[in-house]
Amino acid sequence: MKIIEFENVSKIYTNGNNILKALDEVSFSLEEGKFIVILGPSGAGKSTLLNLLGGLDSPSSGKIIYQGKDIAKLSNDELAEYRAATVGFIFQSYNLIPTLTVKENIMLINEVVDKPFLAQEVLKEVGLLEHMNKFPSELSGGEQQRVSIARAIAKNPKILLCDEPTGALDSETGVLILKLLLKMAKTYNKTIVIVTHNQNIAKLADIVVKVRNGKITSFKEQVPLSADEVEW
Amino acid sequence: MLFKKIWRTVLMYKTQFISMIIMISLGIGIFLGFNVEWYSIKENVENHFEVTNFADYRIYNEFGFTEDDLIKITENKEVKRASRFLAIDTDVKYKNGKTITLAINENEDISGFIVVDGEKYNKESIDGIWLSKSYAKANNVSVGDKITLIYENVEFKLIVKGLIHAGEYLVNVRDETQLMPDYSTHGYGYISPKMCFDTLGFEYYPQINVLSSLDKSQFKDIVKKVFGKTLIILSKDENVSYAGCKGEIKEGKTMGSILPAIFLFVASLTMVTTMHRLVVKEKSQIGTLKALGFKDRRIVLHYTFYSFMVAIIGAVFGLGLGHIIASFILKPSGAMMVYLDVPDFKLYMPDFCIVLLIVMVLSLTLIGYLSVYKMLKTPAAETLRPYTPKNIKKVFFEDIDFWDKLGFGAKWNIRDSLRHKSRTFMSIVGVIGCAGIVIASLGINDTMDAFLELNYNKAMLYNSKINLVKSVSQDNINNLIEKYNGDSSASIHGQIEDKAISIDIYNLENNYVRFNNIDNRFEELKDNGAYISLRIAKEFDLEVGDSFSITLYGSDKTYMLKINGIIRSLSESVVITSKYAGKLNLPYSIDTIYTETVSNEIFLEDSILNVQSKQALIDTFDRFLEIMNLIITILIIIAIILGIVVLYNLGIMSYTERYKEMATLKVVGFKDKQIAQLLVGQNIGITIIGIVLGIPLGVIILDYLVISLASEYEMTMVLNVATYLICILIIMGMSLFVSFMVARKNKNIDMVEALKGID
Repeated sequence: MKIIEFENVSKIYTNGNNILKALDEVSFSLEEGKFIVILGPSGAGKSTLLNLLGGLDSPSSGKIIYQGKDIAKLSNDELAEYRAATVGFIFQSYNLIPTLTVKENIMLINEVVDKPFLAQEVLKEVGLLEHMNKFPSELSGGEQQRVSIARAIAKNPKILLCDEPTGALDSETGVLILKLLLKMAKTYNKTIVIVTHNQNIAKLADIVVKVRNGKITSFKEQVPLSADEVEW
Repeated sequence: MLFKKIWRTVLMYKTQFISMIIMISLGIGIFLGFNVEWYSIKENVENHFEVTNFADYRIYNEFGFTEDDLIKITENKEVKRASRFLAIDTDVKYKNGKTITLAINENEDISGFIVVDGEKYNKESIDGIWLSKSYAKANNVSVGDKITLIYENVEFKLIVKGLIHAGEYLVNVRDETQLMPDYSTHGYGYISPKMCFDTLGFEYYPQINVLSSLDKSQFKDIVKKVFGKTLIILSKDENVSYAGCKGEIKEGKTMGSILPAIFLFVASLTMVTTMHRLVVKEKSQIGTLKALGFKDRRIVLHYTFYSFMVAIIGAVFGLGLGHIIASFILKPSGAMMVYLDVPDFKLYMPDFCIVLLIVMVLSLTLIGYLSVYKMLKTPAAETLRPYTPKNIKKVFFEDIDFWDKLGFGAKWNIRDSLRHKSRTFMSIVGVIGCAGIVIASLGINDTMDAFLELNYNKAMLYNSKINLVKSVSQDNINNLIEKYNGDSSASIHGQIEDKAISIDIYNLENNYVRFNNIDNRFEELKDNGAYISLRIAKEFDLEVGDSFSITLYGSDKTYMLKINGIIRSLSESVVITSKYAGKLNLPYSIDTIYTETVSNEIFLEDSILNVQSKQALIDTFDRFLEIMNLIITILIIIAIILGIVVLYNLGIMSYTERYKEMATLKVVGFKDKQIAQLLVGQNIGITIIGIVLGIPLGVIILDYLVISLASEYEMTMVLNVATYLICILIIMGMSLFVSFMVARKNKNIDMVEALKGID
């Protein structure tokens, strides 16, 4: 089943006289429950793609259809509702609130989500239950990213969107995080989209989308390898 | 090249730059404004007193002084100059109710005046009056006009020769119950002794005015030696004009001290926080400059110059604002300039204000210097990294159950406030300052209103006050008392030790006049003792039950009085009943009748000097309050502006520091409104703390102000419940306004930009 659909989506940034086409008439659709990797060099437009998927930004033209509705046309508040109900974001830089404890960082979603998973439950899943009363600054990078994953999962979103989730981590921790992401996606039956320039991550995906100069250059389904089969 | 960067820095942080300048300007402006105000009064008034040779002492003798008396006084080498003087209250013919105090002065080199229009004073003039310019202006009288004045059936037919300002009548009130001059109904003028003699047909000078640097007791000895008896001697401190000016100066000094100091304090502290944050934000730029090989000295100079610029521009604007505030309080049509009748009022700045300006500029510059100096001590590599606030730690109360019950917003806000302590502290200080100033200012208003209510509406139950002429017979007095069903009183002059006081003797059948005691309850006058005013009680350390002695002028006899009570009074007086006066054998004659009859129903007969309505007295008091109200209004307006700027500045700081966090919340799915509520919530919390601490501070300040001002009014501090509410509303309103101004910015948060990873 298609979960989300892009129709001729363009995103143009203007900066004075410079016009930058971050996305150029992109069309594709994503299947529910799949693991999708968007691959491309920096500046290719892959982050823009992810931001549009996540409702962080609106396209300059084109349609983004989610459950029959064009999210490109949503108001700011409707977009916020879309983000709250549909997507869970995981960033390279974790983006935890430094003044809230681990548990509180997860519980803050209670403000925007009707039926979130219990903080304790997801923290147990990511293996951080014993750290739940610590502040983010007291955790390692990998641990912080695990909190961020737990927070994204706790929302019980349809899609997990990850922007270079292992970018700030050493490769060993990165693999652990990826494994966790895959495990979580399976446990909770989530669609995952990862944006990266790391070719290795692409090997784990059901679908690999290659992006270059604002266009999709290839869209391939493949048989994924398990994380242990990949040489990191 | 670094010079160019200065301007860019200014532009980049224009909110901070502008708000720092506004804060400094307001702080300096209000401080200078109030201090320029009282100092200008002091300088102008002192100058006027000096130019017109305001007398140091006035000697009174109702039997009049002869030329010999004057010579004997003048012969004393400690007496610089003296003049026989007569002042009579006259009615203006054809102008019902208008009165002019006519002064006759033998030697115009003492207790003189300056002529601002018309011809100069001529001693020989037999038809000229030199009339108060303010009276002339209020009544459309010009030089050359004719005016006829009536004094006890004698008419003075006069031509206005000149318009004047006299030091002697600088505060020109009809009597001491009238607090505020009203030139449309009462003025003053000088005529020559020759003219007076020609009209009256005899010479009568009950007063000698003296210029002398002796102190009062020395001078008293001289007078006693010369005349062989005790005479009424009033020093200039006991003169309405002089005391009134001193009162205004003191009041101005009081208002110019603590409240403006709070403004300066809040402004400077906020400047510290803002400069620190600015340098912190510039951290990586400073690092870059260092890495490029700029010497520390030049970088320090760069940022020091920045804060110097803020300081100097703020000081210049503050200087201007101060003068605007002062000239606004002292505007020619304003109450203050009606109260003080001086020509060409000029503004003067006290020297300590210049010192203050220099100190402010230097210390604000130093703030900039220290902010950057601290940062420079870290190595370049360290400086290049962006600023990260201190890591958060758990606070003691997080172990309490109630913490867990708090919503996410409350937790977020509390931790954020604790993490950025200086910002939170400054915001609270700003609110405390504002709330304190607002409470104290409004409290002065309450206190004054309560004072008016108590002393006029509640203590004076009559409608009219009939002042009798001096020569009235006892039969006439009795007739009047009966006719108007009145209470009566007499005032006689005497002294306690060296201090001139008035002894007010009341015969109260109807209780038209009441006296409130220190507990602000009305004291029923008993016939076996005296009631003294609070100021007298304090000055002579007297208590209820004590006895004290008074001497009356013109005799050496002393009277012992027992104190029955201490009362609050406008004048420094001793109040007794006529029966007690009878027991003491005090000589007196009734001079005033109080009645419920309204003033326009009282027939003006020969024995009546004039009739004053209670309303007229209240009106002059209201006019008098205008001066204070103006100051209060300025204080509150500036407090609110300062509060807005301080809170906005800190609000923007908070907004910037939480930008990334808010972006995160937005990504998670928070709506703009929810985030705005969180921001506003933090401000409300800070505002509540500020108000809770600020109100007691305001009460303390008010108490201090009332005590400082009380010597003049014997007031008690009053704060209405409504005032607390108004203060809370004002401060809350201000804080919410600022919060929304800041919070509405969150619509523009760029999630994509804010959450970009580190590449």
